[in-house]
Amino acid sequence: MNPYLAGIGLGLVLLAAFVLVGRGLGATGAFNSIIAWAVSSVAPEHAQSNEFIAGYLPDDGSSPLKSWLLFEVVGLFAGAMFSGLLAGRAKVTTEKGPRVSVRVRLAMAFAGGVLMAFGAAFARGCTSGQALTGGALLNLGSWAFMMMVFAGAYAVAYFVRWQWR
Amino acid sequence: MAMMAPFLKYGTFGEETSLVLAFLIGIGFGFFLERAGFGSARKLVSQFYLNDLAVFKVMFTAIVTAMLGVTYLGWIGWLDLSLVYLVPTYLLPQVVGGLILGVGFVVGGYCPGTSVAATATGRIDGLVYVLGIFAGMFAFAELYPWLKGFYLSGSGEALTLPGTFGLPYGVVVFAVVLMAVGGFYGAGLLEKKFAATGE
Amino acid sequence: MPGWFSRLTLTQKLAAAALALGAVALFASPYPGTKVTLDAKELALIVGTEADHVEATELAAWIIESRADYRLIDLRTRAEFEQYHIPTAVNIPMNVLTEAGLGRQEKLVLYSEGGIHAAQAWMLLRAQGYRSAYMLKGGLDEWKDQVVFPVFADNAGPDERARDERRRSISAFFGGQPRSAAAVAAGSDALPGVAAPVTPAMPKVAAPSTPSGTAKPPAKKKKEGC
Repeated sequence: MNPYLAGIGLGLVLLAAFVLVGRGLGATGAFNSIIAWAVSSVAPEHAQSNEFIAGYLPDDGSSPLKSWLLFEVVGLFAGAMFSGLLAGRAKVTTEKGPRVSVRVRLAMAFAGGVLMAFGAAFARGCTSGQALTGGALLNLGSWAFMMMVFAGAYAVAYFVRWQWR
Repeated sequence: MAMMAPFLKYGTFGEETSLVLAFLIGIGFGFFLERAGFGSARKLVSQFYLNDLAVFKVMFTAIVTAMLGVTYLGWIGWLDLSLVYLVPTYLLPQVVGGLILGVGFVVGGYCPGTSVAATATGRIDGLVYVLGIFAGMFAFAELYPWLKGFYLSGSGEALTLPGTFGLPYGVVVFAVVLMAVGGFYGAGLLEKKFAATGE
Repeated sequence: MPGWFSRLTLTQKLAAAALALGAVALFASPYPGTKVTLDAKELALIVGTEADHVEATELAAWIIESRADYRLIDLRTRAEFEQYHIPTAVNIPMNVLTEAGLGRQEKLVLYSEGGIHAAQAWMLLRAQGYRSAYMLKGGLDEWKDQVVFPVFADNAGPDERARDERRRSISAFFGGQPRSAAAVAAGSDALPGVAAPVTPAMPKVAAPSTPSGTAKPPAKKKKEGC
């Protein structure tokens, strides 16, 4: 799809969130809610004593899985699957460049995820929550964040080009 | 023309409904992410090799669309912009977090939202990336006592560009539009120059 | 549509539209101002049915039950608040009420000395879209009269005695004490604390003092982040 049209579609979805629920999109929070739920199920005292995790446990004792972002991310999964199937782009495969093995690529993917988690934790969000949402709302921290994401990515891209070329 | 939005904050519906809406909005989100091709790591990282600047185009078109939307809706009084949640600014951790995220982006090939989209369309590397996020987040939580100081450095206020630079809201909006349109033009030129051969 | 516009590509049309919208937006003031709209009929209806009131005795029960689903707001000055306030109340003086950041769906119970300020605050909040604002009927005066220093008839029947016991224990909970009806009738009509000879001083706040509704804000914060 024309990137500009996809962008408009995305922007309208974001606008709908603002108008309906008074908040923007996101993704990272859903992961945190799942972790909070998992830890509190296995070791409740540890979950409560860890300040970061406790922040995702509702005060009234209800499940952390009842989180707006979690429902949104489940929808994300469904919507993406639908679009992919519609376009014939759904395929069980590993995205990688020609010069690298699947194993190495998967290791890099895992490493990237770990880095991303730290980055998103410090930044209070990722490209969906901070860049898109905060960008549209002219949030100062979000715009600073956005610029640094591009800076960091461009700076390191050269050194990992063997993964993609 | 009464102020009635954000509907949730005006009590038009409750939390249960908002969760259903979350799911529906998520569907729209995931749908357009995949439509844009962002379920594919190779498409995403092409941004950083200057072959295909779709990431920039999609992201900033979305930002401009939503930004103009809230500006106009707020202006005519249909949306109470002051009730839309603004993530507090912690400048230093956000700047550092952004850098780390950027590195994670080209190393892993995705960002959290797109990794979910990728997993949904069968990408194994997307799934592994998701597992990496879980592992990393859990590690962060465990290390939190040591990271807390840095994590909380900053004012934690909800700050906007117009507010911080003392500019009228509309001026910043216009500036963003100009920058985006200029950027799209520039992106087109860069793509022509760095178009990948034989892919 | 001018001729030149239709000759542009889709991308260029979108760019032109964005620039036009952006240019007009130069003059935008998107935040709501302080002007509000009132639906006079709706408000008159609510006032008429007294749906907006909370009785002092009701509030006392809520405090004893440690309910946390509402916020009790004292609209008086800081000095007055510090001298005595209803346990679990937070002090938000009238003049900063609109900037206090109260949630529009939060259940708010407002009180002032007699009730006039509470009524005015209620009107302002309702006009701004707060749907769950309530007034303590009779304000602090009624609170003292009904809850802290309840009046008991001297020759009460058996049913009344049971009810009186409850009111006595509620009064004790808030550090007050009952007055006898005869004494009130014979003595001055003024409530304790004003001019009566056997004036119990307003009790120091001994009952739960954590402001109501403090549990909520942190939880809400997380849910809205990304």
